[in-house]
Amino acid sequence: MNEGYVVRNLRVCVRDHVIVEDISFTLSPGEIVALAGASGAGKSMSAMTPFGLSAGVASGSAILDGIELVGLPERQLSRVRAENIGFVFQQPLTALTPHRTVRQHLQEAAMQAGGSKPDKTAMVAMLDSVGLSRPEERLAQYPHRLSGGERQRVLIAAALAHGPRYLIADEPVSALDAALRGEIMALLVRLCRERGMAMLLVSHDLAGIEHHADRLLLLEQGKVAESGTARQIATSPATDYGKRLMAATPRLSERLPPLPEMGETLLEAENVHVHFPKPGWGRGRIDAVVDASLTLAKGETLALVGGSGSGKSTLGRAIAGLGSMASGLISWQGEALPLRQRRSAEHRRLIQPVFQDPLASLDPRWSVADIIAEPLRWLVPEAERDDRAADLLEEVGLPRDFATRKPASLSGGQAQRVAIARALSANPEMLLLDEATSALDPLVADGVVALFGRLQRERGLSLLFITHDLALARRAAHRIAVMEAGRIVECAPREELFANPQADATKRLIAASG
Amino acid sequence: MKPALIIVALIALAALLVPPLLPYDHIAIDWDSVRVGLFADGHLLGTDDLGRDRLARLLVGTRVTLSVALAAAMVALVIGVAWGAIAGWVGGRTDELMMRIVDGLYALPFMFVVILLMVVFGRSILLVFLGIGFVEWLTMARVVRGQVIALKQRPFILAAEAAGSPARATLLRHILPNVAGVAVAYLMLTVPHVVMIESFLSFLGLGVQEPLTSLGILVNEGAEEMDMNPAALLLPGGVLVMLIACLTIAGERFRDRLADAAK
Repeated sequence: MNEGYVVRNLRVCVRDHVIVEDISFTLSPGEIVALAGASGAGKSMSAMTPFGLSAGVASGSAILDGIELVGLPERQLSRVRAENIGFVFQQPLTALTPHRTVRQHLQEAAMQAGGSKPDKTAMVAMLDSVGLSRPEERLAQYPHRLSGGERQRVLIAAALAHGPRYLIADEPVSALDAALRGEIMALLVRLCRERGMAMLLVSHDLAGIEHHADRLLLLEQGKVAESGTARQIATSPATDYGKRLMAATPRLSERLPPLPEMGETLLEAENVHVHFPKPGWGRGRIDAVVDASLTLAKGETLALVGGSGSGKSTLGRAIAGLGSMASGLISWQGEALPLRQRRSAEHRRLIQPVFQDPLASLDPRWSVADIIAEPLRWLVPEAERDDRAADLLEEVGLPRDFATRKPASLSGGQAQRVAIARALSANPEMLLLDEATSALDPLVADGVVALFGRLQRERGLSLLFITHDLALARRAAHRIAVMEAGRIVECAPREELFANPQADATKRLIAASG
Repeated sequence: MKPALIIVALIALAALLVPPLLPYDHIAIDWDSVRVGLFADGHLLGTDDLGRDRLARLLVGTRVTLSVALAAAMVALVIGVAWGAIAGWVGGRTDELMMRIVDGLYALPFMFVVILLMVVFGRSILLVFLGIGFVEWLTMARVVRGQVIALKQRPFILAAEAAGSPARATLLRHILPNVAGVAVAYLMLTVPHVVMIESFLSFLGLGVQEPLTSLGILVNEGAEEMDMNPAALLLPGGVLVMLIACLTIAGERFRDRLADAAK
């Protein structure tokens, strides 16, 4: 029998649209092959469609251990899936059934290919092998008791419970915290190596997979742009697309790019505390930000880095006057800025935000020109606004005639540029960038980061750059502040932070990003 | 959605435009032809016990039912949107208080309230739709409040705050236009509901009073003679069913379309 998974000239159509065309690759037993590329490049479609797990229709050929999957009736395809393959999906929060315990999930998974019901020892061993602490206790727990990383471990244990020879992982770590990503990825690779399993890995995050995969396929708009060993593509990509993709992915090992000079201190935040009441009555409070202090100089970029829930966005919003603040002092050039409700349009002009989700930050009913001119409504007469809006569109690299469009017709990158133009129209001194590039494609995100750099040089802007991506912070920021559990645990110039990290949180983040 | 709306429009146009063209109005009594059948003596649908033209009464009844429904739905829209938007936007204790008031009013038995109103203020058509609107706005307020709370957390609202937009401008320019779609969809579902309540009240004799008529009264009258003259029940009943079904279908389609557009 021919072992392995061989895909030849795969083509996937959804209704009349060709999503993937002419994709060929081989997955030998024990090998790890990664499909990478921008979103919409057809990575997931290529991986899932031959197994009947997408909306697309496959043609061409996909042969698993000698069985042709394309055109196989659903009943037999389902058998092939159940017996040979384990699947790990992106969303650990929704991939477990809420009313079933971990034990039930594992039993169901182990019995899917006709295996016998596993006993407790076997299930404990499964959980142990995926690095879940206190496995005996976990068996009786429901999914809501587990954290995101723990759920992903349970999902991996379930995917492996029936002893598959192939693992298909669709963005297995993208929804997880930065610090966890490396850990889960290393776990997947270790399990593959130990069991001689082959893995087909789908990911948009090149930096996260290039050390783990044996071979790499870069997809561009449904076609293979480049393929080869991961090492070779990572070090010297042959095609233009490969080069751009590699350059757009920040790494801790890259040379530090130069940054513009900075001026005198503009913003000072001292001893900021933020807390929220816990949901429900009389349950006390959540301390979101505890005693955080920072400064920002003219033309400086300060990165605020930390895991999700570390309080970095909350602190940013408190500084910009967009969130509550229990105590503390925010001052601008030595003069105290009032609390949220008291800030005037002139105060607010100084600090303008750009948010993570570009489409949600534009009012769907407004035209692009009106959106951009919104801050001008309170500062400039109506006749000038449209001209200013069009100028700003040009400044952020969009055509002037975008002014009449509605947000729904914009791509993610274009929408984010419109949001940036709106922030600029207030003529700000400082931008608050709240994960402003993390919802974007690598190439698009790189363009937006470059835009921030240009705006900083041209306008002398100060940037407060909130991100979970340490490598990106290293590339873009003069100084980096690391947050954990609401506290700033370390704040240092970038060279110093990486040369001599002090706090445990910093060390963990560096290890996870490396 | 289109065929349903066309049927509603046809019924509404007929109710508005046709009565003046008829030789008899809805209260004129034709002494020569009392209680005649279909197509007799120039009465297309015949006459009732008192010799009144059934076609004129059907059309006028439809008109009354529709106008009561529209007026009550507008009352519900105005109070409901204002109440829900303020509760959702202000939040905190104000929201708690306002929504507990809504919960409290929900708990009142609706028929009891209407009968009480009739007893205290006497019977009038104004009271009927005020009474109905008074009940219907509660659900509208809840729907709008939920929408406003969801919208309030969208980043474009924060961006408006950063742009220096005062809270009231944000509410008027960002929140309300984005609530409008949902409010209109719910309004379209309120109208058939009010049609049903009005007919029910009139059927019981609590709603519109003679000599004015409504679909509910006509159904009531028709039910009394359905063994001899089934058309007297089936015609107003049929119009009522068509109106309610078509308005509901149109409202639900509109709501689904909004939900699709939001994706």
